[in-house]
Amino acid sequence: MYGTTAKILRVNLNTGAIEIETLSEDFYRLYPGGKALAGYILLNELPPHTDPFSPDNVIVFANGLLTGAPVSTATRYVVSARSPLTGGYGESEAGGFWGPELKMAGFEAIVIKGRASTPVYLWIKNGVAEIRPAEHLWGRMTAEVQETIRAELNDDKIRVLQNGIAGENLVRFAGITNDLRHFNGRNGLGAVMGSKNLRAIAVRGTQKYQTLAQEPETLMELGRKLAKAVRENPLSWDLQQRGTPGLVEPLNTGGILPTRNFRQGAFEGVDDIKWEAYEKELLTARRSCYACAVRCKREVNVNGQPSPYGGPEYETVGAFGPNCGVSDLQAIAKANELCNAYMLDSISAGATIAFAMECFEHGLIGLDDTGGLDLRFGNAEAMLTILEQIARREGFGNLLAEGSLRAAEKIGSDAKFFAIQVKGQELAMHEPRGKYNVGMGYAISEIGADHLVVAHDPAFANPDSIQFKSAVPLGITVAQPPRLLNAEKMKHFYILEKWGSLEKVIGYCFFGPAPRSFIPVEDILTSVNAATGWNLSVDDALQIGERATNMARIFNLREGFSRKDDTLPERIFQGLENGPLQGLGLPREDFEQALTILYELKGWSPETGVPTRERLEALSLGWAAEMMPAETSK
Amino acid sequence: MRLYAGGYLAFYLPQQKNSIEMRLNAPTLLKDILVNLQIPIEEVHLVALNGEQADVETAILHDTDVLRIFSSVNGG
Repeated sequence: MYGTTAKILRVNLNTGAIEIETLSEDFYRLYPGGKALAGYILLNELPPHTDPFSPDNVIVFANGLLTGAPVSTATRYVVSARSPLTGGYGESEAGGFWGPELKMAGFEAIVIKGRASTPVYLWIKNGVAEIRPAEHLWGRMTAEVQETIRAELNDDKIRVLQNGIAGENLVRFAGITNDLRHFNGRNGLGAVMGSKNLRAIAVRGTQKYQTLAQEPETLMELGRKLAKAVRENPLSWDLQQRGTPGLVEPLNTGGILPTRNFRQGAFEGVDDIKWEAYEKELLTARRSCYACAVRCKREVNVNGQPSPYGGPEYETVGAFGPNCGVSDLQAIAKANELCNAYMLDSISAGATIAFAMECFEHGLIGLDDTGGLDLRFGNAEAMLTILEQIARREGFGNLLAEGSLRAAEKIGSDAKFFAIQVKGQELAMHEPRGKYNVGMGYAISEIGADHLVVAHDPAFANPDSIQFKSAVPLGITVAQPPRLLNAEKMKHFYILEKWGSLEKVIGYCFFGPAPRSFIPVEDILTSVNAATGWNLSVDDALQIGERATNMARIFNLREGFSRKDDTLPERIFQGLENGPLQGLGLPREDFEQALTILYELKGWSPETGVPTRERLEALSLGWAAEMMPAETSK
Repeated sequence: MRLYAGGYLAFYLPQQKNSIEMRLNAPTLLKDILVNLQIPIEEVHLVALNGEQADVETAILHDTDVLRIFSSVNGG
C-alpha cells in the first residue's frame, strides 16, 4: 500500500493503554484520511448523544492522505469529535507543521478516548508514544507550554499541538493550535481536549513522505512545478503578498464586510484596518506551512513588540474589527494575540462579543450584568477585557464562554435574534447577503456556520475569469451571479462542496487547489495518483468527498438534527443597514426552494434532509443507513 | 489619476505595485485604460470611482479621479 503509513495510534486515557492499528488498503480506498477517516471512526465508535465533555467522547486527529507530501499546501489535518458548541459532528482543519510531523512519526491518525485522572500530554516519536504528566503545563499560556515541552524533551524541532487555558476551562469555542501559529479554531474542540485532561500532543518524526509514495519522483517534480507556479498565478501571488488581510477593502467596497454584528455591510473605519494599514503598522515578515511556497502567513509586531503567535488573519480582523465596530488595528492585533495565547476560536470569540455589544446597546444587558464594562460597539478596551474574561470564565465572560446561542437563551427577550449563528456556531466574516452560496454553506454545513464549504460565489460570475475556467474540469460550465439561488447555482454548490470535502480528506489547504487558488484539478489528481498508485478520476475524487460529507450528515441526524436546522439567522433574511447592498436581504423563499433542489441533487429527502438508502449504497455507505434513527432511515 | 488595485489585480500592475499614477489629457474609458495596462477586464469584479461603485464597461475617467479596482475575492 502506497502513500500512507496506514497506522492509527489509539490512546485510552482512562487506562493509559496505547495501541497501534493497521488499516487495510480496501478501507483506505474508501476513507483515505482526514474528514473521511475521522467521520468513519466517529460514526462507528462514538455512541449517539454522548455528552461532548464526557470521557466517552472520542477525539480524532486525522491527517489527509497527502499531508506531508512535498507539494505546496498539502499540510492539513482534521480534528474531530462531538462538538460542545453545536452538539453535532465537530470538525476543524489546520495546516502548519504538526500534521506532516505526525506522518513522519509513522501515523495517519490518533484516536483518543477516556479522561486522564490528572493533566497529561502525549509524546510521540518515530512510532513510539508515551503519556506524560502535564500538571506543570496546566494554567499556562500556549507559548510557555510549547517552550517547556521542547525544553524538557530536549529537542527544539518538536512540533507541539495544544489547547490552552480556554480549553482547560471548557469554553465552548476553545480551539487547538500547533506551533502557536496554526489553528483548529472552530467547533470548540480545544474544550474536548480540556475535558479529557489532555493539554498537548508533542510529535517528532524523521521519515520522509517520499518513501511512502509509489512515484516519489513524480511527486517531487510536481512540487517543484507548483512552487514556481505560486508566483506566476495571480491568486496565489496575492495570497503571498497580502495574505487574507487583503480581503478587508474589497469586501467593504462590495458592501459585504460584516459590520456591527452583521447589521451593516460597510465600515466607516475601513481605512484604518485595510491591508495598507496592516502592512505599515503590523507586518514584519511572511511565513509558510510545511513545504508550502504560498507563504500566506504573516508575522507581526503588536504594540511594537514581536508577537510569538503570528499575525491576525482576515477572519480575526473582521471579527474584532468591523463586526465589533473597532477600527484600532493594534487592539485587533492584541485580540488575536490573546485568542492564541489562551486558545480561543477568534471567529466565535469576536462574533460572540459583537452579539453581547448589540444586546448591550439594546438594553438587554446592562452594566450590572457586565460588571461595569461599557460593552458598546467600538469600545476596544472593553472588547479586550471581556475576551480575557471569556477565556478565564470570569465575570460576564463566563456566560459568553457558552457561545452566543446559549448566552442568548439565558439573556432571553430578543437576544436570540442577535445571535448570528447556525447550529450554535457563529458565522464567519463573510456576508451571505452578497454571496448566496456562502449562505447555503453556512446553512447546510454539518459543523454549523462554516465559510469553507464551497469556493465563494464571485469566483463563478464571469465565464472568462481564471477561477471560473479552472472550475470547468469539475463540471461547472454556466456562470452565475453571486446574488442568485437557482438550480444551476445549486449544481455549483453540489460540485464545489464535494471538491471542498475531498480537500479535507486528502489534506490540501483551501488556498491550494483550483478554483479557489492555483493548483489545477488535474495536478491534484496527479498528486494523489503518484502517491498511491491509484488511477483516480475527477468523478472518483468527487465521490470520496461526497462520502465524507454524508457520514457527517448521518452523525448529525443521529443527534436529532434535521432540515429545520439547515437555515440561516433571521437577520440574514432582512436587509443590510448600509452600503451598496443597503436594504437587501437573502430572499427566504428562494433559499427554501434552493435547499430542496440541493437536497435532491445530494440524494436526500427534500422533506427531512435524510440521505436515501439508494444514494448511501451508491457511495458504499449502505452500512451507515442502519445507523440512522428508525423514523428517518426509511 | 490614481489607480489602486485590490484583490489579485495588483499582479498585473507595473512592478506589481498596489497603485499607479497616470496623466489623463482627456476623459478616457476605463476599459481602454485596462487594455493599456494589460489588466484582463474579465478579472475586474468591482470598480469604485471616487468612492462610488461604477461599471467597468462604461466608466469614464478624468485626470483628478481616484479609481479603485478589485478582483473577486474568496474566503479562507
